[in-house]
Amino acid sequence: MNLLESMRVALRGLASNKMRTALTMLGIIIGVAVVILVVAIGQGAQKNVEDAVNSLGTNMLMIWPERSRVRLTAATHSSTSTNTTSTNSTSSSSAGGGGGGQSDNRLTLDDAKLIAQNFPKSIAAVAPQVRSNVQIRMGANNSTTSVIGATPDYPFVNNASVDRGRFISDYDINGSLKVAVCGTTIADKLTNDPTTDLTGQTISINNQDYTVVGMLAPKGAGAFGQDQDDIIIVPITTAMHRILNTPYISFMSVRCTTQKMMPLAQEEIADFLRARHHLQPPFPDNDDFNIRSQTELMARQESIATTMTSLLSAVAIISLIVGGIGIMNIMLVSVTERTREIGIRKAIGATPRDILLQFLIEASIISILGGIFGILLGIGCSNLMSSIAHWNTIVNPTAVVVALIVSAGVGLFFGIYPANKAAGLHPIDALRYE
Amino acid sequence: MLRTLKRNQKQAPTEVSKEPLLKLRDIHKTYIMGDQEVRALDGLDLDVYPGEFVAIMGPSGSGKSTLMHIIGCLDVPTEGSYYLDGVEVAEMDDYELARIRNQKIGFIFQGFNLLARTTALENVELPLLYGKKKDRTDRAIDALERVGLGDRLDHRPNELSGGQQQRVAIARAIASDPALLLADEPTGNLASQQSEEIMQIFQELNDEGRTVVMVTHEPDIGQHCKRIVHIRDGRVVDDEQVQERLIASEVLAQLKAEREQQQASRSPVPVS
Repeated sequence: MNLLESMRVALRGLASNKMRTALTMLGIIIGVAVVILVVAIGQGAQKNVEDAVNSLGTNMLMIWPERSRVRLTAATHSSTSTNTTSTNSTSSSSAGGGGGGQSDNRLTLDDAKLIAQNFPKSIAAVAPQVRSNVQIRMGANNSTTSVIGATPDYPFVNNASVDRGRFISDYDINGSLKVAVCGTTIADKLTNDPTTDLTGQTISINNQDYTVVGMLAPKGAGAFGQDQDDIIIVPITTAMHRILNTPYISFMSVRCTTQKMMPLAQEEIADFLRARHHLQPPFPDNDDFNIRSQTELMARQESIATTMTSLLSAVAIISLIVGGIGIMNIMLVSVTERTREIGIRKAIGATPRDILLQFLIEASIISILGGIFGILLGIGCSNLMSSIAHWNTIVNPTAVVVALIVSAGVGLFFGIYPANKAAGLHPIDALRYE
Repeated sequence: MLRTLKRNQKQAPTEVSKEPLLKLRDIHKTYIMGDQEVRALDGLDLDVYPGEFVAIMGPSGSGKSTLMHIIGCLDVPTEGSYYLDGVEVAEMDDYELARIRNQKIGFIFQGFNLLARTTALENVELPLLYGKKKDRTDRAIDALERVGLGDRLDHRPNELSGGQQQRVAIARAIASDPALLLADEPTGNLASQQSEEIMQIFQELNDEGRTVVMVTHEPDIGQHCKRIVHIRDGRVVDDEQVQERLIASEVLAQLKAEREQQQASRSPVPVS
């Protein structure tokens, strides 16, 4: 009996018990679909991170305020009085500020200005920012968004550009004027049309009226899936005094002159801030700030994405193995149930090899068909993810091929034992089996 | 020796010159059951010539099933030699036995043993499938027409009567044109009318020159054969040619006549 005929026999065997075949297949379908989906999401996330790195440029530094890690330990060692005062100032600042969700804001606008002025060789521009979530309203439309307080250097440092109107000017900063630059998503939220030009309109931010002076060019989804157009930019002084009521900034982005200058810039900024904030060694444990390069951040994000992908893939592979055990189980039941059929086939001339092939092919068909359905389901879910949740997903052809091969292998591997058992049955015993 | 002589005297002279189709010599089959040794066959000799119609009879436990299995190449003897169509099969492996079963032997079982959920045609095609034969469908249709089921090709076993199922099984047995038809109580599950119809087919096939060996415990079924071999305790104890052989077509005609007579005597109320 040739392979094609064996396949026909196997298909008929499967078709005679459709429900059981489908349920057995389900294990493989889910396993394969999860593999495809997880890899697609993981790859999409990685792609996003890469795109973000490329769009931001590689010579970016971010400086965050941060509570020093060993300050409490140092206090218990009764080292200095500076620590006590800084702890005091910490509590007062968080009581008065509460800006941007940071626990301890120690960076000021002056820090940023001085850094920009002092190191022209290594630093091209500094963009101090404050961020907060606010309520916006125009006419009857009400929504929430995040507001960024920024300086005129923001577009240069953060790769943003103005489509219509103008950006924040020094004049706006000096006067803490109530002007705003909006992203396209804001236009969508307020007028239900992302292409609306809001320039010249008045919008309400936290119940204060702001005049829109410009519109940002759309940027799309960011590295972590966030909508980069869902922002309103106001002068940083306005944000600090009128919205957040804080003397501190949330963080600053620093654009270095070249990538080679980054280590130097990092060192210069650290030294400068330590001196300016009168910090005591040891460093960096006592630093009240945290400097990270953009690439470092991205690399970390990317490694998180990779870890998640491999973790979920491991789960998916375990589910594939469980599916395989399901196949083995069903095939064993099937062999027992069809002992008599095996006896009949043997009596009229089926060789052990014929029987082996029949059951092995049955197991393979379950797993390969399951694999194909699983791939289709996985691709479908990936597309659903990107259209509904706006996650970037990339279906990897390699993952598809590997999933198919693995599922076929699972079927073969877990089919061998039952098929062997069937092939080894003695015809007389098999015929007598009731 | 004496038996052979006796048979040769009664047998048609043309068959004397032929080589036996089955030649079993000193066949032993011993099973180990627990710590006991069971001798199912104990030095059995048997010759069957082409064109014969043999019934093997004997009480249960006589070893006739074991003999069937060995003749049918489903099992091999512990000791002794068995030539089927001039080939020694006693020491063949599973693959060679499968090939012999496929090409030289057609099985008919008491319980029909058709594949459920499979049409009559596909059932009959099955041995041809394993035999890698060409034009399977044509051969299978021929075989089914031969047993009078040309109009039941697409019926599944559960849509057929017992007699019809057994006829499908016979079609399956003759589809690959084997040298030997081997039937194990072929009428055991059937009513007498259907049994007679099955025996009619066997007699017709035998008349066409096929060798038939049949195990049965019903004397009247044995009476349809040409020769009866009696087995007891794993040995042949008697080997006789059938006297006053029953011809199935005549029995059927007689049954039909009786039935008509019964109906005739029942329906019109006799007026005296």
